[in-house]
Amino acid sequence: MLFGKHFRKYYLKYALFFLVGIGILIVVDWIQLDIPKLVGGIIDSLDSDTPDSAAIESSILRIAMLAAMITFGRFVWRYTIFGASRRIEFHLRNTMFGHASKLSQRYYSQEKVGGLMAYFINDLEAVRMSFGPGILTLVDGLMLGAFAIYRMANLNFILTLYAAIPMLILTVVLVYIRKTISSIFKKRQESFEKLSDFAQENFSGISVIKAFVREKKEAKFFGDRNEDLYQKNIHFVKYIIGVNIALSMALNFIILLIIMYGSFLVLRTDGTGLTTGQLTEYISYFFTLIWPVMALSRFIQIQSQARASATRIDKFLDEEVEIRDFEDAITVDNLKGSISVKNLCFQYPDGNELVLDNVSFEIKAGESVGILGRTGSGKSSLVDLLLRTYNLGENQVFIDNYDIMKLTLSSVRNAIGYVPQDNFLFSDTIVNNIGFAFDNPDEEAVKESAKLSDVYENVMEFKEQFNTILGERGVTVSGGQKQRISIARALAKNPEILILDDSVSAVDTKTEDAIITNLNRVRKGKTTIFIAHRISTVKKMDKIILLDQGKISAIGSHVQLMKTSALYQDMVKRQTLENIVQGGEPIERF
Amino acid sequence: MKDFKDNTRERSDKEVIKRLFAYALPYKKEFALIIFLMFVGIGVQLLPALLIGYTIDLVSNDTMERSQQVLNILLMGGAFFAAMLVGNFTNFYQNYMLQKVGQKTVVTLRNDVFNHIENLSIGQINQVPVGKLVTRVTNDTNTISEMYTSVAINLIRNILYLIAILIVLFLLNFHITLYVIIVIPIVLLAAYLFRKFSRASYRRVRANLSEVNAFLSENLSGMKVTQIFNQEEKKRKEFKEHSRKLRNSYLQEILVFGIFRPTIYGLSMVGTLIVLYIGYQEVITTAFTAGLLFSYFYYVRDFFEPIQELAEQFNIMQSAFAAAEKIFDVLDTKPEINDSKDSIELDHFTGAIEFKDVWFYYLEDEWVLKGINFKVNPGDTVAFVGATGSGKTTILSLIVRNYEIQKGQILIDGIDIKKIKRSSLRKHIGQMLQDVFLFSGTITENITLRDDEITLEEVKSASNYVGANTFIDRLPTSYEHMVLERGNNFSSGQRQLISFARALVYKPTLMILDEATANIDSETEELIQESLEKMMNISTMLIVAHRLSTIQHSNKILVMQKGEIKEEGSHQELLKLKGLYFNLYQLQYDENEALSS
Repeated sequence: MLFGKHFRKYYLKYALFFLVGIGILIVVDWIQLDIPKLVGGIIDSLDSDTPDSAAIESSILRIAMLAAMITFGRFVWRYTIFGASRRIEFHLRNTMFGHASKLSQRYYSQEKVGGLMAYFINDLEAVRMSFGPGILTLVDGLMLGAFAIYRMANLNFILTLYAAIPMLILTVVLVYIRKTISSIFKKRQESFEKLSDFAQENFSGISVIKAFVREKKEAKFFGDRNEDLYQKNIHFVKYIIGVNIALSMALNFIILLIIMYGSFLVLRTDGTGLTTGQLTEYISYFFTLIWPVMALSRFIQIQSQARASATRIDKFLDEEVEIRDFEDAITVDNLKGSISVKNLCFQYPDGNELVLDNVSFEIKAGESVGILGRTGSGKSSLVDLLLRTYNLGENQVFIDNYDIMKLTLSSVRNAIGYVPQDNFLFSDTIVNNIGFAFDNPDEEAVKESAKLSDVYENVMEFKEQFNTILGERGVTVSGGQKQRISIARALAKNPEILILDDSVSAVDTKTEDAIITNLNRVRKGKTTIFIAHRISTVKKMDKIILLDQGKISAIGSHVQLMKTSALYQDMVKRQTLENIVQGGEPIERF
Repeated sequence: MKDFKDNTRERSDKEVIKRLFAYALPYKKEFALIIFLMFVGIGVQLLPALLIGYTIDLVSNDTMERSQQVLNILLMGGAFFAAMLVGNFTNFYQNYMLQKVGQKTVVTLRNDVFNHIENLSIGQINQVPVGKLVTRVTNDTNTISEMYTSVAINLIRNILYLIAILIVLFLLNFHITLYVIIVIPIVLLAAYLFRKFSRASYRRVRANLSEVNAFLSENLSGMKVTQIFNQEEKKRKEFKEHSRKLRNSYLQEILVFGIFRPTIYGLSMVGTLIVLYIGYQEVITTAFTAGLLFSYFYYVRDFFEPIQELAEQFNIMQSAFAAAEKIFDVLDTKPEINDSKDSIELDHFTGAIEFKDVWFYYLEDEWVLKGINFKVNPGDTVAFVGATGSGKTTILSLIVRNYEIQKGQILIDGIDIKKIKRSSLRKHIGQMLQDVFLFSGTITENITLRDDEITLEEVKSASNYVGANTFIDRLPTSYEHMVLERGNNFSSGQRQLISFARALVYKPTLMILDEATANIDSETEELIQESLEKMMNISTMLIVAHRLSTIQHSNKILVMQKGEIKEEGSHQELLKLKGLYFNLYQLQYDENEALSS
């Protein structure tokens, strides 16, 4: 039973389910114990000298009714209790994803996707178990066990002491045994993981292994680890079998005890004994006790796993939503697209050096700007801040003279279109990808954007054209096509500010030229920022900002920078040579 | 979806069973014993109910003497005790042997799969993500192991148990059993219907689960794009849809099980009621005793459990079959490049190589090499230079025959490369690849690649020769230092030195180096330069070069562009041409100038 703050509300929400389910479960547990009593009565009647057929038949009828009620009842509690647990799982899953959608890029850069998936798969499962099988084993185990022991004690107290006490001890022992089994299982798991890791390393480094002709030897090493896993498996298995046998012997022993002592009780003629029928009743009650013993120890196991997982989910749901609208945030719908950066200094929360150092520049609304710099110059960080995926200090970045930190997130994001460096696309139709910014993408608008980014023809060549599904379950597109679809996605939004992050790196110069020409035409009067490392991309822009190691090195048009910036000149020269070597055309002759 | 492109064959369930069975064949004797013990175990399991019934008759017997009754009770107790011991002992032994055999079978299967993958060509292995290959070797074989040891045996045991009980019931009371049998077809019908529905709901759960997981995986990775486009709400709605579908398929599963299990209970109670109704009349009218009736009653209740178990275990069998299919897929994939039967061993290699009009592609008609011609003489140091994608690395790959060429000829010491056994060829060539693969093990193991025939002296001598000892000696346990996490804590320069030592220690006549392009700290840079020069003197070397110093020390430079050799000659000769090499040199020269300023 989990009572953390993220979980307890569900008991109330599904109170009806739980009350009905648990109620019926308890009723079923009680009435099912009437059957042995009735059977015992029949046996007694048959044993006597004058069996009462009418009474026997009436008993059989009652058993039939009880069986019908139990059958129905078992369906009901399954449906209600397990049904509730799956419904709760559904809510939790959605809540968790909802929270995930609000967490910052800082969080995502620290946590691996695999680790996050574990919350949704393993931890959620463990928590669900506690609401479903957990409640079942607890209630069923306690109630059925208590009822059975009560009835047994009513029949004969002493015998019950002999029978019930060992059973209680058995329950406790089982808990301890389950723990030991867990730790032996862990060892086996470790051996399994070692084998898995070996295979993983081997297949990753297969080039080296083949280069040095080590296949046979590696196979032998694999064989060794395989053997080790076998040994650990056998050890684990031996333990489990041994435990099962021991339990079985213990149970058999107790049964033997009951039968023997019970028989002697039947033979007693002083009235303190049992009838034959009562003996059968007693034996039946005892057999019924076996399930609660298993159930309770299982409950403890479910409970401990659920608690551990609940703690992890708590931690995840308590993770602060850093990127949000602060108190006095204002919504501005019609931003024009001028950007002003004043003495911007920024370092990543987990970093220890400034990635942007005293950066200042102005971009007028409608300007086309290129941001140039080598790897590590701070270009991507600058973009991250303009998109407000990180929090920054006040009075450093302004959009239309509004401090970016004082605008609502939706104001900023609605005004900016972004083409990411990795050109991430979703496993969805091309229409839905390009029209991602809209709830109901208009196919015509989408096709227009595709034309602008020079990908329309390629898409029309696909069988399903714009309804083609991308990704693992669909079509894999080339790097260049991905890039152009990604550009179309941002263009479709027709935003005031368009930011392209290294977006033509995967296309050849001819296509690059086409895209840039289209951009210049379509984006007239709208701010466009192009992060690049190729001069050819930004040559024709109104303004080029040259970054070097987090600082501004120079700002100006291509012509101006060629005259004034040594760094710029050097870059042009190198790229020219690179072009020649690659077998392309030079961009500038010396 | 199949892992390997060429495997498209579907297999029937029967075929899968046959092949799995084949793996168990070496253990037929053990299986026979297990089944025999199973009979014993079942027999013993059936005893208690009989003994209880006997006891009941005993104690209600008015005609027997008290002392006789006591004696009989004690005897019965003794019999019960003996049966218990025998039963538990056979159970233990039987289960243990079964697990052992099952596990041994899986060990064989696992080794087979690993070996098979190991012997595939690099091109084939690269078709499948490493993660999937690992799953085949570990998880899928695990699934089959579980199937052998729990499901398959329970299947046999349950069937045998059912038959045994049926026989006992007939023996106890033929008359009642005739009536009880009526219930059996209904139960079988229920089990059959359940199987159909549970299979469908199981499939649906699996499909929806993988959809939810795929959605999560993709969207957690791409959350940045979603947030920037302000589409969090859209994604939340999408997720809720997938989540709802999953929930509904789970609810359906609950419904299926929720109906099936109580139904089986209900049917077993119908059987029980029939027993009581017919049975009590039998007791009154015939010699059938109350005790026997009680035993009978218990057997009938026991009868229905195995049927329920059988029906429910079906899904586990399905997933085991799916796993088996994937494994057989791997095993059925033929290794692409096999040495032909008449390949020869290369005892001795001087280092002479010739490429005659070689054309090569990885993907059909996308030629990576177009008409390559060159000669390497023993003792030469040849540098390949050119832009990325010009084909340099590919040439090195072909010399060690990682792939087959489509046109032309490659001669090794005058012999066609296709006539030489691959392993024999590679033994003479030391490869220093760009991506230095380090694995979990000591430094020594990483240098020797776990070949224990190479002595520590040889390792140290190779390390000293290339200068790797400078940083290895500084480690706390030096050569015994455990490399962790693929060696990410070593700099790229240090990794390159380790790869040099690795190649040297195998004493090759030809050395192939694919120079790292990443920035190397100046300290290691010098060491690398020195050791390269040393190695050039002791063997023939082919280098894909990026460093000026490396190129300048080669006696032959081949300048490549887009799959062709454009210029050939020494450093001075090529500079004089003022062509491609000249421009490349300028690029390099500019970089050095920038570094030193």
